[in-house]
Amino acid sequence: MVLELKSIDKSFGEKEVLKGVSFTAEGGKAFGLLGRNGAGKTTCIRILMNVFPANSGEVLIDGAPIDYSKIGIGYLPEERGLYPKKLIIDQLVYFAELKGMSRKDATCSVDYWLDRLGMSEYRNKRLDTLSKGNQQKIQLITALAHDPDIVILDEPFSGLDPVNAMLLKDVVKEQIAKGKIVLFSSHQMSYIEEFCDSIAIINAGKVAISGDLYEIKRNYVRDKLVVSTVAPERIKADLGEACSEREDGSLLIHLTRPDEKQAIMKRLVESYDIDEIKVFEPSLNDIFVEYAGEQV
Amino acid sequence: MKQFGKILKFELNGYLTNKIFVGITIFLVVAIAIVMFIPNIIGLFESDDDGNIAPADLPTMLVYAEDEKLSAIVKQYFEGVFVDYNVKEADGSIDDLKEMITSGDADCAFVMNGEASYTYYVNNLSMYDSNTAIADTVLQEVYRWKQMVDNDIPSETASEILSVQIESSTEILGKDQMQNFFYTYIMIFALYMVILLYGQMVATNVATEKSSRAMELLVTSANPTSMMFGKVLASCIAGFSQLVLVFGTAILLYNVNKEALSNPLIASIFDIPIELFIYLIVFFVLGFLIYAFMFGAIGSTASKLEDINTSVMPIMFLFIIAFMVVMFSMSSGSVDNTAMLICSYIPFTSPMAMFTRICMSTVAWYEIAISIAILIGSTVGIGILSARIYRVGVLLYGMPPKLSTIIKTVFKKQ
Repeated sequence: MVLELKSIDKSFGEKEVLKGVSFTAEGGKAFGLLGRNGAGKTTCIRILMNVFPANSGEVLIDGAPIDYSKIGIGYLPEERGLYPKKLIIDQLVYFAELKGMSRKDATCSVDYWLDRLGMSEYRNKRLDTLSKGNQQKIQLITALAHDPDIVILDEPFSGLDPVNAMLLKDVVKEQIAKGKIVLFSSHQMSYIEEFCDSIAIINAGKVAISGDLYEIKRNYVRDKLVVSTVAPERIKADLGEACSEREDGSLLIHLTRPDEKQAIMKRLVESYDIDEIKVFEPSLNDIFVEYAGEQV
Repeated sequence: MKQFGKILKFELNGYLTNKIFVGITIFLVVAIAIVMFIPNIIGLFESDDDGNIAPADLPTMLVYAEDEKLSAIVKQYFEGVFVDYNVKEADGSIDDLKEMITSGDADCAFVMNGEASYTYYVNNLSMYDSNTAIADTVLQEVYRWKQMVDNDIPSETASEILSVQIESSTEILGKDQMQNFFYTYIMIFALYMVILLYGQMVATNVATEKSSRAMELLVTSANPTSMMFGKVLASCIAGFSQLVLVFGTAILLYNVNKEALSNPLIASIFDIPIELFIYLIVFFVLGFLIYAFMFGAIGSTASKLEDINTSVMPIMFLFIIAFMVVMFSMSSGSVDNTAMLICSYIPFTSPMAMFTRICMSTVAWYEIAISIAILIGSTVGIGILSARIYRVGVLLYGMPPKLSTIIKTVFKKQ
């Protein structure tokens, strides 16, 4: 199954929130939707979920317009919140029923998930008696109980302790293995890097970059060298502004042209006492800062 | 439709498991039961003494006249009419008499200045003191009788002339306002209370979902029209069943306890003709719905619970004005005045105005039909509009949006 957003435009009043947003997410893979605060991620998700329509553009499943009566969507919103005064089992079954399940199936599925996440003991308690992390696990059940085809998780790891984070990772991997489309939105880049095969970075309502994460990294302009040396002062003094020190003590050398890479490496090795020299591979964090940081 | 059923069930369940809601209902039922048995309870304490109090315990009323014969006649007549007083002839001066009243030995005194003139002495004049009015009538009668006898009319004839009774009967061709007044009053008041209470509940309910951010999930799970109609109908059913319980208890206990409650006023309350009862339900349900939809829409535009009180103000004013117009018209006895005529066609006021007119006046069937048709049309319209406002409102956080902004967004093509 392939989910495709095609040139989505959306404005609220005078304000253009999305300008021709397009990206593609595949089943059995996780997709990372990134962007700074207010970039338009939530609007994107809401259009995808048909909360409001786009001004123009299409949401397609396998090339045909999405049929919301057939495609189930599970959503963990960034702003968490359920009914604080109601029993956990009651509201979980209610939400699963709203998504089209029968009462019996809903109860069955909710009980499975409560057990899976180790929350069975809270089944008949009120939500506001639970800790924040546990409330988050309950919220996660509302996104998964009706066995949706598309799972949208907005900041799923915030507020979870390492043990619960592990549990959630397992659950997410399980969902991916089932062939579902898992859409991640997070500012914790390490999790995105761990799960997502492809990403889209939205900046000020436009897709700044999208595609396979590995490809994006490979295609990153290879114009920087990382150098480990015992005598950084000498290199810094010789190269001046082209050289800067990194947090771990190694040096980052900016090349004026990518094709002088070989020559510069050779010169460095001959002139100085070098421990290690390699081409700079950007982390997702670097890519994010570069694409989402500017042009604002 | 399936979603609507589930939402309705969930919301209704919310009311039925709400301890405050259940508590208030039980309290009202118990209170009404106690009220219905008050005559029996009072009877229980009174049964021993047959309502007779020893003459010595009654307050003293003094009668004084220079002429001893007049004094005796007045005393005799006063004893007949002032059964709540121990009537005595006074001796001594007027100053002694005043002294007795101020010291509390006597309650009041009539000092006769002549056959047709007296001074009434009393310490504190009560707001409801009707002694002088009674005395006037009695003394007038005595005076007329005496004059007739003095003018050679036989005393029997004089008595007959004075005690003539006028026979009369009234045939009501339209409505008896006196008879209908009390249940109309009670019903209008019940409508007023229920709409305000439940309207607030709907608004609070929506705003709570919004402020607890359960809305984030709800809007992605259910369509806003189902949400709005589910919520409003659930509150309508809850409110209606509460009323049915309270009034049902009252009617049941009235029938059980009919003998003790033989007061014609109480009987008139329970003697509602069946067609009025049907009108009552129609206007009640429609009036409830139209306001509940508006309250729901307003709840969806507030991001915090505190905002609700100010946001609902315009609706409250509209509703209170309608209530006032109806109440003033009812108590002035002219329910067909121009204000009421206009109000019986405006959907926000017609549930109260038209119902009152049907109860207390004669209204042509087509007037009722037009009023109900306008009301049904407006209720559906407001329902759909409020669902749209809800759809827009629930995702807006921050300052409550301006009315113009909402209208613009709602009517903009989707």
